[in-house]
Amino acid sequence: MKKILMFTLLALSFGALAACGGNNGEADNDTGNNQGEVEELDGELIVYSSRNETFVQDLLDKFTEDTGVEVRALHGAEPLQIQEEAGNVQADIFISNDIGALEYLNQQDLLEGYEPENVESIDEEYRAENNEWFAISARARGFIYNKDMIAEDEMPTKMDDLLDPEWSEVDNGYAITRGGNGGMIGNVSALRYEWGDERTSDWIMSIQENAAGILDGHGDIRRAVGAGEHAFGLVNNYYYHQQLEEPTNNNVGFIYPDQAEGEMGAIANAAGLGMVSGGPNEENAHAFIDWILEEENQLAFVGESLEVPINPDLEPPFEEAVSFSELNVQDMPLEELGNYFEDTRTIIEESGLDLELR
Amino acid sequence: MRRNRDSRNKQHDQQNAKVGGEKSPAILRFVNRKWIDIWNGNPPGTILLFIGLLVALIMSVPVIYVVWRSIAAGADSWTRLLGDRIPELLWNTLSLTAAVTFFAISIGVSLAWVVVRTDLPGKKFWQWMMALPLVIPPYVGAVTYIIVFGPSGWVADIWGEATWLTSILGDYPLNIYSFWGAFLVLTMFTYPYVFLIASASLRKMNRNFEEVARSQGMTTSQVFFKVNLPLLRPAIGAGAILISLYVLSDFGAVAMLRYVTFTSAIYFQQAGFDIESASVLSLVLILLTIFILWIEAYTRKKNKFYQTSNTFKEPETLRLGKWKPLAVVFVVSIFSVAVVLPIAVLVYWTVVGATMGVIDERFFEFAWNSIKVSGLAAILCMILATPIIYLKSRHPSLISQAIDKLSYAGYALPGVIVALGMVFIFNNHIPALYNTFYMIAIAFVVRFLPQAMQSGEASLSLVSPRIDEAARSLGYPAWKVMIKVIIPTILPGILAGGALVFVSSIKELPATLMLRPPGFDTLAVRVYYEASEAIYHQAAPGALLIVLVSIIPLHYLLRKY
Repeated sequence: MKKILMFTLLALSFGALAACGGNNGEADNDTGNNQGEVEELDGELIVYSSRNETFVQDLLDKFTEDTGVEVRALHGAEPLQIQEEAGNVQADIFISNDIGALEYLNQQDLLEGYEPENVESIDEEYRAENNEWFAISARARGFIYNKDMIAEDEMPTKMDDLLDPEWSEVDNGYAITRGGNGGMIGNVSALRYEWGDERTSDWIMSIQENAAGILDGHGDIRRAVGAGEHAFGLVNNYYYHQQLEEPTNNNVGFIYPDQAEGEMGAIANAAGLGMVSGGPNEENAHAFIDWILEEENQLAFVGESLEVPINPDLEPPFEEAVSFSELNVQDMPLEELGNYFEDTRTIIEESGLDLELR
Repeated sequence: MRRNRDSRNKQHDQQNAKVGGEKSPAILRFVNRKWIDIWNGNPPGTILLFIGLLVALIMSVPVIYVVWRSIAAGADSWTRLLGDRIPELLWNTLSLTAAVTFFAISIGVSLAWVVVRTDLPGKKFWQWMMALPLVIPPYVGAVTYIIVFGPSGWVADIWGEATWLTSILGDYPLNIYSFWGAFLVLTMFTYPYVFLIASASLRKMNRNFEEVARSQGMTTSQVFFKVNLPLLRPAIGAGAILISLYVLSDFGAVAMLRYVTFTSAIYFQQAGFDIESASVLSLVLILLTIFILWIEAYTRKKNKFYQTSNTFKEPETLRLGKWKPLAVVFVVSIFSVAVVLPIAVLVYWTVVGATMGVIDERFFEFAWNSIKVSGLAAILCMILATPIIYLKSRHPSLISQAIDKLSYAGYALPGVIVALGMVFIFNNHIPALYNTFYMIAIAFVVRFLPQAMQSGEASLSLVSPRIDEAARSLGYPAWKVMIKVIIPTILPGILAGGALVFVSSIKELPATLMLRPPGFDTLAVRVYYEASEAIYHQAAPGALLIVLVSIIPLHYLLRKY
C-alpha cells in the first residue's frame, strides 16, 4: 500500500515538474515538488518523543521511506532526560506534546536554532525566536464523558469546578492522569498562569483526592470512559475524536471547559519539535526538520492523533474538528509555559500526584 | 559489608607495602607471610585474583553508586520525602509484602502437603502442574487478570449482562486496580517457590518422627502442626525469603495494577529524571532488603533441625478418605486460577493477534532483540562465573568470600536500583557505552551472575581438588589446569547456569525499560507497553513466547528439588 502511494507520488512529482515547476500551495503539488528535491541521505537519526507512540511511529517510518535515513526512536522520553544527557548528547530531535517542555529546554540552551524551509507556514507565536522549536498541531484540554452515565448538563463546565468534592460522588467517578504526564504538566502550568500557585495547588490536591481513577496516560482514560469504568475524564480533545472512531464503547461526548463570557477559555497546548543542540546526526536532523515542514508531512505529524494543524492553510484531517477560531481559548502565549515548567513539576510532586496511580 | 571493606583495605595496604618493600626485606617477609596466612597457605594466581576482584567491583559498583548518590542527595530531598512519601510507600510496600508472603506460604505448604503426603488422585501430575505458575512472569499474569477481572474484563461483561446478578448484588464489585489485585496476582505467581521447596523437604522427611508422635496418640492434624510443620520451618523460611524479596522488587505487576510501591515509585522518579528522589527512595529499599536478609539469617541461626539419615524410611501416604473431594477442589481451583486462566487468556489473544497479522517483521525484531541481549548476558555470566567459583572453592579465604558476597549485591536488589546505578555510571563515566544495548546486558549480568555461579558451584563441588593437583603435578600451570581439566568437567553446570540467566534476562522488565537505547525494544518492553495501552492482541504473542521460554528453568528446578 505504502509503496503504491510512493510511486503515485513520484509520478505526480514528475508530472508537476514537467507541467510548471511552480508552487501553488496546494498540498498535493507541494508534496510532489519536495519529493523531487529530497537529496539522498544515509545514516541514522535519533528521535526522543514524549508523544504517544502510535501517533509518532508511522511518521518516522514515512521519513525513513522517503529519505533512507534510519530512525531510532525512544518513545515515552522525558524532556529532563535531554537535560541529564547534556554532557553526552544522544538525541537529535525531541518531539513533545507540551510546548512548556520545549521552551524549558530552550531556556536551558539545550536546543539549537535553524532556518528551515517553509517555517513561515507556522505562525510566529507558535515557534521559538530562532526556531529552536516550533509547534505543528494544537489541542485543547477538556472533559470526555460517557453519555450513558452522565448527561451533558450534569457535567462540570469549568476547570475550577473540580475544586468541588461533589464530583467524587458521580457514579464511577472521574479519571485523570498521573501528574508526571506531559499533558497534565501543561494543564497545571496554564492554571498557575491564570490563578497563581496557591489556588492551583488546591486544585491539584482536590483532583488527587476526588478522582476515582489516576491513570498513566490519556489513552487509558478515553478507553475507561468509553467502557463506562469512569463517568468522565480530563483529556486532550483529540482523545475524544479517537474514541468516536472506536467500533464499540463510543457513546461519548466532550466538554470544552471555561467557554462562557469572562471565563478563562480552554487550556490550549501544542505538539511540536525541536532540534537538540550538539546531537550526533546534525545533517539528518536538519533534513528531518525541512521534511516535516513540508505540508504533507505536517499533516502526517497530526496524523492519527486527530489534533488540529497549526498551519491555517491545512484542512484538519477529519471532519468533527472544532477549529481553534471557534473556541474561546485561554489568552496565554504558549511560550509562557516554559517559564512554569520546572516549578510546576515541584508543585505537582509536593501534592503527591506525580506518582499516584489508582 | 564492613568485613568486605576491611579485607580489601588490607589487601590494598599490602600492595602498598610491597611497593616499598624492596628496601626492607623484613617487612616484605612479614607481609608475604600475612598474605599467605590470609589464603591459608594457598594463594591464587595473580590473574585469577585480578579477574575475581574486577568482577566483584563491576557487580557492586552500581549499588555503591546509588547509595553514594542518595547520601549526597541533600537534606532537602530527604526531608521532602521523609515527610509524606516514604511513610506512605513503606506502608504500601510492607503490607503487600507481608500479606503476599503469608498467603503464598499457606497455599504453598498446604498444596505441598496434599500433593506429596496424601493419596490425592494424579499426584505425579499435580507435582508438576502446581509448579507451573513459576513460568508466568507476574507482570504477564497481571495482564491476564486485568483482561479477565478488570472493570471492562470478561467477568464484568457477564456481570453486566446478567441482570439478576446486578439486581441482587449491585454493580460489579471487583476492583483489580487495588491492593487486593496486586495481592492476588503476586500470591498466585509466587506460591510455587514455597511449594517446590516444601515438597522437597516433605519427601525427605523421615517417617520415624511421625510414628513416635502417633504412638503418643496424636491425631493427623496434631502430627502436622507438632512434627511436620517444625521440620518444614527451614523450607518455609527459604520460601518466605524468596517471596518477600520478590514482592519488594516487583515492578511490572504492581505498575500494571496501579499500585505504587517503592520499586514503581523509583521507576517513575527515574523516568521523570528526578534522580535525587529516585536515589533516596532506592536507599530505603536497599535497607529494607538488607533487613529482610538479616531476619532470614537470624532465624536460620536460631532454628536448627536435624534429620537422621541412617534410619530413613519413606514417609507413608495418608488416606484422604472423606476429605478427598475437598482436597481435589482445592488443588483444581488453585490450578485453574494460577495456570489455566492465564494460559487460556494468552492463547486466546495470541490467536486473535495472529489472525490480525501481529506476528510480523516487527515482532521478530523484538524477539531477536530479546534473544541478542539475553544471550550476551548469558555468555558473559558463564565466562565471569567460572573464575569466581574456582577462586571460592579452591582458594577459600576472607578475600574470596568477599568477592563472592559482592557478586551477590545486584542479585539481592531490585532491577530498578541496578538500572539506576548503571544510568549514573554510564552516563557520567562511560559515555561510549551509554544508550547501547550493552548497557542492558551488563545490568543483566549484575542482576543474574549469581544464578550462573550457583549452578557452576554445584558442578564444581563434585570435582575433587585432587584432580587439579594431579594435573598440576604433571606440569600444567594453573590456568591450563582450569581450561583443560576443570572447565570441560563442569561445563554442563555452567551451561545450565547460562540457560537460567538467559530466561531470567528475557523476562526482566524494569532494568530493560530504564536502560533500553532508542529504537531497541524487547518483547518484555512491548508486552508492558501494549498491555498498559490495553492493546491485548499485540501484547499476548510476546507474553506467550516469554512464558514458553521460561519453561526451560522449570525443568532444571524440578530436577533439583
